[in-house]
Amino acid sequence: MLYGKSIKTLIDHERNRLPEEHPWSDFIEQITVSFALQQEYRHSLGRYSRFFCELANGRFFATRCPKCDRVYAPPRTLCLDCQSIPDWVELSGKGTVKTFSVLHFNAGIGADVKSIHGPIFLVYVLLDGGHTLFPHLLRCAAERLAIGLRVKPQYVSGPVSHPLHLMYFVPEDEVL
Amino acid sequence: MIDTVQRSASRLPVVVAVGMTPFAAHHADKNARDLTTDAVLACMQDAGLENLNQVEHGITSYESDHFNRQMTMGAILHDQVGMIPKPNLRVEGGGATGALALRTARAYLLSGMCDSVLVYGCELNGRSVSSQTANQLFALSADVDWEVMLGGTYTGFYAAMMRAHMEQYGTKAEQFAHVAVRNRRNAARNPLAQKPLELTIDEVLNSRMIADPYRLLDCSLLSDGAAAILLSTRDWAEAHSERFAQRPPIHFSASGCGTDTMRLGDRFPNITNFAAKKYAAEKAYEQLGITEPKRAIDLAECYDSYSGAELQSMEDLGFAKRGQGGPAIAAGEFDADGILPVNPSGGLLGRGAPVGATGIAQAIEICLQLWGEAGERQVYGAQRGLTDTHAGIGSICVVNVWEQRD
Repeated sequence: MLYGKSIKTLIDHERNRLPEEHPWSDFIEQITVSFALQQEYRHSLGRYSRFFCELANGRFFATRCPKCDRVYAPPRTLCLDCQSIPDWVELSGKGTVKTFSVLHFNAGIGADVKSIHGPIFLVYVLLDGGHTLFPHLLRCAAERLAIGLRVKPQYVSGPVSHPLHLMYFVPEDEVL
Repeated sequence: MIDTVQRSASRLPVVVAVGMTPFAAHHADKNARDLTTDAVLACMQDAGLENLNQVEHGITSYESDHFNRQMTMGAILHDQVGMIPKPNLRVEGGGATGALALRTARAYLLSGMCDSVLVYGCELNGRSVSSQTANQLFALSADVDWEVMLGGTYTGFYAAMMRAHMEQYGTKAEQFAHVAVRNRRNAARNPLAQKPLELTIDEVLNSRMIADPYRLLDCSLLSDGAAAILLSTRDWAEAHSERFAQRPPIHFSASGCGTDTMRLGDRFPNITNFAAKKYAAEKAYEQLGITEPKRAIDLAECYDSYSGAELQSMEDLGFAKRGQGGPAIAAGEFDADGILPVNPSGGLLGRGAPVGATGIAQAIEICLQLWGEAGERQVYGAQRGLTDTHAGIGSICVVNVWEQRD
């Protein structure tokens, strides 16, 4: 939007609405302007990084609290219950869907998801040997999606924009 | 926990006055400063104050620097309404922002740091950005590397939580659709509401699927608006506001806050409900010796960001047994003429939700009801009201209780 000698305002519309004695009747001109910002962030995955490095190797890692044995996937870098520093532990990556949603819109955040057409199956998976639910995308026929479905990771060689997409889930019995 | 209420009864905050703007998808003629100005002027007028010179502290409630494309809005709005050089604090707690700001003001008053606090909140969540951009900006309040990168947005996380509730307790879509119908119907009796609608359950169940099981009409609104409440000690109110003595005094009598993990999965196996809300409510009830909240609370404004979130909240607030929120809602227990009216204002679904103003607007509704000034939507004989807000999918929950008592 560019501005010069004439500026289009909402003045006429407002005049019709505000009575003369209105306390703001001398403030009825209104202009809307545009303002665009483009931001690109480079941020560290920090102590989570090993999880993503191992995904690239086709291996699934979680963290385990040495004191209370709780296994976190996604990995937590400090135990939620006792503030101990956890150890890395390898899981099979197989598990069971505990809840899900079918997203009928694409918020368009991140190139990896932006390119997906059609509904997105967001599943929360209790991994074998894990104690928390790992959220990720499931790719399968719509009629197979259900709580209780057994799933396994499908590793991807890339290239992907975010290393989380070096995997997705498929039904455990699916032969690819 | 020390019972601060009993220890300092004379410092227990009272509501001096309230003010808010209409909530709307877009105020083409006003920006954040204008909306805040209008809410604060309305609050001053309600109090019968000519100016803010005697008010000792300002607390600004707004959630998003992104939506307002402006940082340090706390200082800017404080400056705008002419409260300099008085101290200011900006409070942010996601969807719980407004309630957290009020809770903070309560603590300031109880502590003796000051005797009066103006809490004002504003947000421009309406049409200043496209809905695509709005979705992206809201998504940034989720866990970016683990959830947002999956295309997850809050609608999806809420939906997954509701799916688990349906699986575990047999909750039905038509039960939470009842909330979508009722709250928008309630909004028709609120002149400041954004989206009053007369709907049927079938219309909700046939609206476009957004994130299974949530459909378009299960989702709350993006709004522009502002709201303000002046809180003080009783002595300050009596000394500074003639209006205060003319209405039944309302005390901000209890406040509870609880937190939960950011990601739903980290809460397993507790993924059907808001554990932090239950914790917050229990803390608030403890402060008042409430053991049967459904009988003890006369009305409530609850955080119906999605229709099912209200259903889950009924259980967490102790208004229904765990898993029984659906049948209780469908039976009309929380309707305007029910046992415990919930969201008489229209809630987030019908009144609207400019985040920083939402929790304050909830408290304003309770005050109007307790003063007997709620017009067509008046809940008769109401003496104790509750507000319930949460951030994210319940990562921060705040439950505030307001009472009319001498």
